[in-house]
Amino acid sequence: MIQVWLRNFLFFKKTFLVSLFWTVFEPLMYLAAFGFGFGRYVPPIEGLPFIDFYFPGLLCSTAMMVCYFESTYPNYTKLTHQKTFQTMLLTPLSAQQILLGEIFWSATKGMIGALGVMLVSIMFGLFSLKFIFILPVLFLISLIFAAFGLMVVSIAKNYDSFVFSTSGFIIPLSLISGTYFSLKDMPQLIQWLAYAFPLSHGVQLVRHILHGQTDIVFDGIHLLVLICYATGLIFFANKLFQRKMIN
Amino acid sequence: MSITLSAVNLKKNYNDVAAVRGINLEIKQGECFGILGPNGAGKSTLLKMIYGQAIPTSGDLFVLGLNTRDQMTEIKARIGVVPQDDGLDTDFSALENLKLFATYFNMEKNSAEARAEHLLHEMKLADHQHMHVEALSGGMKRRLVIARSLLHEPQMLILDEPTTGLDPQARLWIWNYFEKLKVQKKTIIITTHYMEEAEKLCDRIAIVDQGVVLDVGTGPELIKKYIGTEVIELEVEDQKNYWTSKIKNLDIEFQEFESKLFVFFASIDQRQNFLQHIQNAHYLIRAANLNDVFLKVAGYQIRGEA
Repeated sequence: MIQVWLRNFLFFKKTFLVSLFWTVFEPLMYLAAFGFGFGRYVPPIEGLPFIDFYFPGLLCSTAMMVCYFESTYPNYTKLTHQKTFQTMLLTPLSAQQILLGEIFWSATKGMIGALGVMLVSIMFGLFSLKFIFILPVLFLISLIFAAFGLMVVSIAKNYDSFVFSTSGFIIPLSLISGTYFSLKDMPQLIQWLAYAFPLSHGVQLVRHILHGQTDIVFDGIHLLVLICYATGLIFFANKLFQRKMIN
Repeated sequence: MSITLSAVNLKKNYNDVAAVRGINLEIKQGECFGILGPNGAGKSTLLKMIYGQAIPTSGDLFVLGLNTRDQMTEIKARIGVVPQDDGLDTDFSALENLKLFATYFNMEKNSAEARAEHLLHEMKLADHQHMHVEALSGGMKRRLVIARSLLHEPQMLILDEPTTGLDPQARLWIWNYFEKLKVQKKTIIITTHYMEEAEKLCDRIAIVDQGVVLDVGTGPELIKKYIGTEVIELEVEDQKNYWTSKIKNLDIEFQEFESKLFVFFASIDQRQNFLQHIQNAHYLIRAANLNDVFLKVAGYQIRGEA
């Protein structure tokens, strides 16, 4: 498993500077435009200035986006055009080890994305030592969406399949999961919908930790949902990937 | 001599379509074994079952004394595969490809590097080792894939159409290299569409079609059994009926193909006799070869790709 992770790391090292630039530049744009610019016209939400409210959402959705994209397009190319996975399977590596290696690599990229957001947060005075405590939450989110990405890779018919999962699922999720607005004020239906998926739980948990509002019961549930999603999706991704590779 | 591979009533279905329908095979240690068959005959499915990317529907398959059902990891550690698709990692250079592949085998770093450099040198790729694999020619890529398959010093090699798409020089070089591997008594399983390749390299050959083994034997055995010693290619144009009845009367075996007849002779005397009957027709006399066997057994017609 570690060999698969290492292979991706070696490739990442080659394009390190370009990657790093975007990792920092993107959250910088978002924080500047939404947090700093747009946020000035918005009254406090849940007792927090907009930029403080929005920042946990940006952290979580960045982790989600970065690892989702890392786990989909490059892996589909490895599966179809480059036959990288088929080559790995010629060695003692099993399909499961390849899958887990890829999931952990994508999750690593998700964490690098989140770290980029944290780095930029210094410029906006949002840096906090509490970041240490949200790292496991962000890692869980990354695992979930890396596993989701590899599930889509395992059933995709062509590159267009990712347009469905991106525009039909990932983007809407990044909008309705309590990232830009408070779910408390939303109709019941929207709340149920948002809490049916993992991102909103991650956003709530990170927000509560960063702003010292943790509640052992509610946040315990949020954490449990994330753990269940991560385990469940890795399990299903493994089934689908196995079926795709060996039949 | 010990048995390296044995298949017992091996079957494989894909969604109720039978790709392999009951193959029995024994391949001996140190043997170069050829598998010939038209496209869609089940060759690749058979190989995929050997290297673990397809699971048999029924029957048994043992490789190096290990069961493919539950000992695939051990099997994969001891076999080398040259697949039809190169599957080279295009994000890396030639040397990096080998080094990465070695990590998948958990090879120790220094010995892997030494082995990779040795193989690149042997494959005449030393000057190109830092080039990206995309920039390599077809022949170089194939040599790199062969180097990759030998990295972990496997006991058995599986070559799936190793020289398809290469120019004659590259093919000759690769054949010569395989000859050297044969001297080292490595067991080799090879599929190919080049009968010359099979005749040159293989100790024994299986002809496969529609998921079953039609026959197994050495090249000369198969040629003798199905064709004889010589073949006359007779250009009959619009006089086909005349010629076919004539040859039938002489009780000689033949095959029709478009405006040609391929006439098979068991001995040179028989051929000499036949020549007396030929007037006003173009013909060519040549030695019988594996190509004739293949066409006779698998049929002369082009098929839709299965």
